[in-house]
Amino acid sequence: MEILVEFLSTTAVANMSGGNLMMLCIGAVFIGLAIRKDYEPLLLLPIGFGCIVGNIPSIASMAVGVYDEGSVLSYIYFGVSQGIFPPLIFLGIGAMTDFSTMLSNPRLVLLGAAAQMGIFLTLIGALYLGFTPTEAGAIGIIGGADGPTAIFLSAKLAPHLLGAIAIAAYSYMALVPVIQPPVMRMLTTRKERLIRMAPPREVSQREKIIFPIAAFLICALIAPGSIGLIGMLFFGNLMKESGVTERLANTARTAMVDIVTILLGFSVGCSTQAQTFLTPQSILIFTLGALSFAVATACGVLFAKFMNLFTKNKINPLVGAAGVSAVPDSARVVQMIGQQEDPNNYLLMHAMAPNVAGVIGSAVGAGILWSVLVG
Amino acid sequence: MQTLKLSFSYQNIVAGQGLELAFAGMTIVFTALVLVSVFVALLPRILSVINPLFPETQLHAGPQTKRSDESEIAAAIGFALHVRQRGN
Repeated sequence: MEILVEFLSTTAVANMSGGNLMMLCIGAVFIGLAIRKDYEPLLLLPIGFGCIVGNIPSIASMAVGVYDEGSVLSYIYFGVSQGIFPPLIFLGIGAMTDFSTMLSNPRLVLLGAAAQMGIFLTLIGALYLGFTPTEAGAIGIIGGADGPTAIFLSAKLAPHLLGAIAIAAYSYMALVPVIQPPVMRMLTTRKERLIRMAPPREVSQREKIIFPIAAFLICALIAPGSIGLIGMLFFGNLMKESGVTERLANTARTAMVDIVTILLGFSVGCSTQAQTFLTPQSILIFTLGALSFAVATACGVLFAKFMNLFTKNKINPLVGAAGVSAVPDSARVVQMIGQQEDPNNYLLMHAMAPNVAGVIGSAVGAGILWSVLVG
Repeated sequence: MQTLKLSFSYQNIVAGQGLELAFAGMTIVFTALVLVSVFVALLPRILSVINPLFPETQLHAGPQTKRSDESEIAAAIGFALHVRQRGN
């Protein structure tokens, strides 16, 4: 009987806190959003289930959780805490990205730069709220709308905020179709939303091969802190475009990126233990994260309107919203809003240019913050 | 569990050099992407000089392109029309 009572005291039921219960509900909501609403299911499903796994209380003497040294989950989480998974995901992204639309219309690259203002304005906001500069840098990167980049930088600058930042970044990426449209409509007139852009020109294979090498050199020489992310992104793209490593590129964009996504999503979810996750900081991070997405969208749209003051071939300002990365969701939102005004206006191809430029911009931004705040 | 010291103040931004950091950061991001943009814009001109010197050759394992079913169907239709016209 004594053994039975002792065993019962070690069960998760006996040790379950209100915070754990809340996190179990949040995990269930994520799974629901993934399955019912199809919001970023590849991420929200592993994160949601990880959330549930990570919030089952265990007794102190057992190494089970991600923060317990020697546990299986801690070894998986090592890839997150040491910033190993994000560059591997960038390798896969590079191997699946076609930079043709960007190469055919290079001025759209600037929209990817403009949207990165979200990172730095959020940083200022986080400083104002009392976060330290390194914490503010890690929170600011949520505005880059790039999950792997957010995880990479917060692992370097503020590991104690990693769970909240990762969840905020991925949640808001899933909510791009909800956050962006009101901002886009508010900042554009119907006439602007109806602008049709010239079709992109054909890009030669040689251009596609030279681009990743040259763009890597430019970015890495300016912001060496971004080498891990940018290097893997362009290496993946070179494997794709070279045509001689099709097998490697195929593995990088399918099996490898899937494996890393599973491990990353699940272990990030497991890291959201109520005791470390349910803090006042997390609430502020979520608030700042939502604002940063809206600000980044606004900056992209406004910069497109600014460019239209000087250019003959007008840019549809909606395309600026795709500069926030979140590939390819924000480009899809641009297409959706554009087609609501004119069903025959196809903006998706144009939006992919600032979209992929935004990925480069956010990685460069992360490299800058890492260099300045840690270096 | 950590507690947050709520101290909302503009002074925090000044102390953390927030404005300088934001300005420098945006300048560097823009510089990098403007250079990428300029390079991409110049690339066709650079290639117009390079291509005659080093013509594109068939790679030993070039990009795999799938034959389109539509082109096969079009060829079949064209052949059928040709045969029919000859028959007439």
